[in-house]
Amino acid sequence: MAVTLTIDGHEVTVPKGTTILEAAKTIGQEVPHYCYHPGMSSPAMCRLCLVEIEGAPKPMPGCVTTVMDGQVVHTQSDNAKANRKGVLEFYLVNHPLDCPICDMSGECNLQDYVHAEGRDSGRSREPKRVFGRDDFGGDVLFYGDRCVMCTRCVRFMSEVEQDARLTVVDRGNRSVIDTFFEEGLDGTNWHGNIVDICPVGALVSKDFLHKARAWDLDHTPSICTSCSQGCNIDLHTRDNLIQRLKPRENLDVNGWWMCDHGRENYEWINRGDRIEAPLVRDGNGGSQAVDWKPALGALLGKAEGAGSVKAVASSSASNEDLGLLRALVEELGGGDTVYRSARADDEIVLKGFPSLARRKDLAANTAGADLIGLERAGNDDATGGLESVASHDGVLVVLGDALEDQDADFGKNAGLYVFLGSHESEAATHAHFVLPVTTFAEQEGTFTNVAGRVQRFWPGLDAPGMARPAWLILGALVAELTETDGPRSAAEAFNALATGVPAFSGMSYDDIGTRGAVVNEPVSLSGD
Amino acid sequence: MSDIPFKNPGWAGNTGEFDLTEDQVRGDDFVGVRPAHGGHASGAGTMPFMLAETNPETKLFEGEYQERFEKILTRYPDKQAALLPALALAQELRGYVSPASMDRVAELLELSPAYVRGVATFYTMYNRRPVGRHLVQVCTNISCSLCGADDVVAAFLRYTDTELGETSGDGNFTVIEAECLAACGFPTCVQINSRYYENVTPAEVPKIVEQLKAQSQGDK
Amino acid sequence: MAYPYVSDKEVRILSKHFGDPKQRQIDTYVERGGYKSLEKALAMGPDDIVEVVKASGLRGRGGAGFPTGIKWSFMPKEATKPHYLVCNADESEPGTFKDRELIRWDPHQLIEGCLIGAHAIRAQHVYIYCRGEFFETTQVLARALEDAYAKGYVGENILGSGHTIDVTVHAGAGAYICGEETGLMNSLEGRRGEPRIKPPFPAAVGAFGKPSTINNVETLCAIPHIVQNGGEWYRQYGTEKSPGTKLFCVSGHVNKPGNYELPLGFPLIELIEDVCGGMKDGNALKAVIPGGSSVPLINAEEARACKLDYEGCVEVGTMLGCASVIVMDETADIVKQVRRMVDFYAHESCGQCTPCREGTSWTAQILRRIESGKGTEDDLDTLMEMTQNMVGTTICVLSDSVAAPVQSSIEKFRDEYLALIRRGERVGAA
Repeated sequence: MAVTLTIDGHEVTVPKGTTILEAAKTIGQEVPHYCYHPGMSSPAMCRLCLVEIEGAPKPMPGCVTTVMDGQVVHTQSDNAKANRKGVLEFYLVNHPLDCPICDMSGECNLQDYVHAEGRDSGRSREPKRVFGRDDFGGDVLFYGDRCVMCTRCVRFMSEVEQDARLTVVDRGNRSVIDTFFEEGLDGTNWHGNIVDICPVGALVSKDFLHKARAWDLDHTPSICTSCSQGCNIDLHTRDNLIQRLKPRENLDVNGWWMCDHGRENYEWINRGDRIEAPLVRDGNGGSQAVDWKPALGALLGKAEGAGSVKAVASSSASNEDLGLLRALVEELGGGDTVYRSARADDEIVLKGFPSLARRKDLAANTAGADLIGLERAGNDDATGGLESVASHDGVLVVLGDALEDQDADFGKNAGLYVFLGSHESEAATHAHFVLPVTTFAEQEGTFTNVAGRVQRFWPGLDAPGMARPAWLILGALVAELTETDGPRSAAEAFNALATGVPAFSGMSYDDIGTRGAVVNEPVSLSGD
Repeated sequence: MSDIPFKNPGWAGNTGEFDLTEDQVRGDDFVGVRPAHGGHASGAGTMPFMLAETNPETKLFEGEYQERFEKILTRYPDKQAALLPALALAQELRGYVSPASMDRVAELLELSPAYVRGVATFYTMYNRRPVGRHLVQVCTNISCSLCGADDVVAAFLRYTDTELGETSGDGNFTVIEAECLAACGFPTCVQINSRYYENVTPAEVPKIVEQLKAQSQGDK
Repeated sequence: MAYPYVSDKEVRILSKHFGDPKQRQIDTYVERGGYKSLEKALAMGPDDIVEVVKASGLRGRGGAGFPTGIKWSFMPKEATKPHYLVCNADESEPGTFKDRELIRWDPHQLIEGCLIGAHAIRAQHVYIYCRGEFFETTQVLARALEDAYAKGYVGENILGSGHTIDVTVHAGAGAYICGEETGLMNSLEGRRGEPRIKPPFPAAVGAFGKPSTINNVETLCAIPHIVQNGGEWYRQYGTEKSPGTKLFCVSGHVNKPGNYELPLGFPLIELIEDVCGGMKDGNALKAVIPGGSSVPLINAEEARACKLDYEGCVEVGTMLGCASVIVMDETADIVKQVRRMVDFYAHESCGQCTPCREGTSWTAQILRRIESGKGTEDDLDTLMEMTQNMVGTTICVLSDSVAAPVQSSIEKFRDEYLALIRRGERVGAA
């Protein structure tokens, strides 16, 4: 049933039960607020979202007041603004002037609201109460003086993670957020989210402390690669390095959240020891860097008559990369393509949002690998399974698997051994060609998550040296072998995939957009 | 007080135009001794929990106190509602609510320790650290303040030889200010452990302090 | 009669047996006609009881003055879920001491009122939430309740009526804010005693999430008398909009402080000069707070014009609240007393809402600075304007309660503030 009301002079129609705050969002009106968050309960205690409703005796909190037919609401009237101005003054009575040393500066709701609607100066001349800095354990530091007591963090731990580790201690203006003494947040799996939802710089990440200013960071939409959940994230980058990862809202996948395991797993993307040029090995332990065209030309020359193909991939590679790997294997005469990836013993479910879990499968694209026709090999710690491959005497192609458990003799017997990777490996000693590829953060592409949702990611970093996306390299090889044009964009590479793999049939980048789209058949991860 | 007839038997207050003993005013003769197991379940959660004799090592809970705890649980639809009476019982036995007590009560009621800490620290009467055998709480809110409460506080500090909020050297007394105790017609009202002392003026303070010092074991 | 002094101007209904220890004994209570009203009520239907209470015009005696019959009628007419009656015995408003007297002198009157009230709202469980400091008072109530259970007035199949009502006494642990009905429910549930937003209202979502009604001790103590004698009988006392009698708690600079039960509408000045034996030491009246610390102060002139009912107090610019009359004479230091009251609110604020959490302690800090002689006249403007931002902007009205004494004292006793600001001089010593 729909309700029609007037907000700031605009007629708005929304389903019955919608709050005024959410209704205002539909016309682009963001009512300032702290304690409200769509993923948790609404205590209506920050008093910032008070709106003027004609006929109501006093201002009402927009976050919990549901709409009524014919209601006339003002969020920008003199009264509404005066309320916010008054409440903001109270927030600043004890809030320290920490902006110059506070990580939140530049992305702080208090800064933004006060700048927009606060008083020019506060009238308090009294000494401020001091709580100091507290280490909550895990990745979280708490600056108690800055806290605005919105209790989002307390409610997140209690309602969403459902491990009530935080509480408000004491009452009145002595009240402060704390843990149970030394118990802290250790052992929890989702506590990084409380730093995201803290509207001010009270809860900060130790990892990010004093690392970069918010306004220096670029944000690029991407997908977390630490497990098969496929949480939507943003890469925050500066100086061509990942500074931190933040979750991106997607109610079909991860809500507003991501786990600590994925959040902290980004430093590998910043590794500086990258392969930066195509290398041709001379057979005597030496390598020579060559340009792409001569490298690929030499590679194809060696491939002729080199024998049957075995390929090893990683399920961290994108759909486009894996699709073109299969295509190359086919063009070289066909053969087994396997993938290895790590698996944990258990899932870590976010109890308050149970469709989100840190999955057992610790790679981003296992479902994609399965759908594209690769077979799983190796153990749950991504080792082993390559006995027949290591000594293969035909064509050996390795994509994205660093072969850390293999020794220098790997591929020694191969007629043509091509190693596509971002970092050198001992097991690539006998590779004829070592080709530098980009990480997911440096290319466009898609992953297929545990629920069969294909999700796009975008490049947030520049690739080092001459590294290129694997689909581009493999696509060029296939194009030479088939005398056609290779894909010139990730979208074209995906379209080729959609033609060849029934699960992806009819899908395109436009359909997938920023929210993702589910494949055409049910997906279950092999080995699950 | 002025020259209106004033009767103050013991410390139970001005009985004005009534002829009453202290026991009658307090209701001690009616209540008698309430058993450790709490008596009838309907009142099992309401025993004095500010006592002079306590032992921080007491197990939570055993014997008659465990019986009382179980009776309390039967009066509420869920375990969480028994939290305030459980904390009160823990303090009755141990003298204050320590982190270990919070943890144990959390365990008994299947709540998180952090949650119990949040509740325990909200309320003024749960002592967060040990206090003297006699916790002297002097009301200094408006009605008593108008009638000289500040002088009563000063007198207690003097005769117990302590600072406000601190425990005396002999471990006998802690003196604090309290908010309105709901005995405004009998200024100044002082709560000492679980008893109200009404109509206290600086003149009565040394007598009260002497009486408390001489009190035998097991008294309230 | 009220306690510890008696006045012949009193109308002794609830306080008839104050000062009589025998009244606690259940046999005495029954002998004197006790629990007859309960018997009558159990034979009536719940809705009929509600009609009687509505007809009496009884208004909540805890401070809000909301008509009790109407409050009870908000409860669902069918108990598809458990209903609860909660008795608010968390008496903490400065100046108020009537509920303690009601419970310790006449506990069965309260128990009977609770039982009738529970029956009227179809509740099977009553929680009497007593403030934690009331150790002795609560013991008296618990003992009386034991006797009532033993004699079959509480529990299963009361007096063979087929109705089951249980009563539990629950002790608080020291928090004024638990006297606010939603804060009380949270405290009862084993949470921090923080008030809830309304809507939802307790009659829809109350204690333990179930339909509940919260009533003050004095309100429930009036119920047996109203049910026994009828609504019209109650209306013979008091005024048309404020019927009945009220226990007035008088404290401060009078000769005979104490509780007095008088018809509503009684003139304030007669209460002070006649019933309470006049001003202590014959000093001149300076200010009165007629309804507990949360209502505005009135000066002597306004006090002389004030009639003690809900409307009469509003006419002179204050409120009746819980009828706790705090009398201040010429020796009173208004600034100090206002600061002490604000200290109280700052101490008791639950801390949820920012205007209250920050505003109460900020106000207290400014007042302390003024008291120490370091205030400025700008501070008075800041106080007036800033406390106005604390009115109507929070979940509960503790915040509004700070504005009342601060604004009314600055308006009416500005010279005392100015004496401190300009010359560092205190007016008054108490």
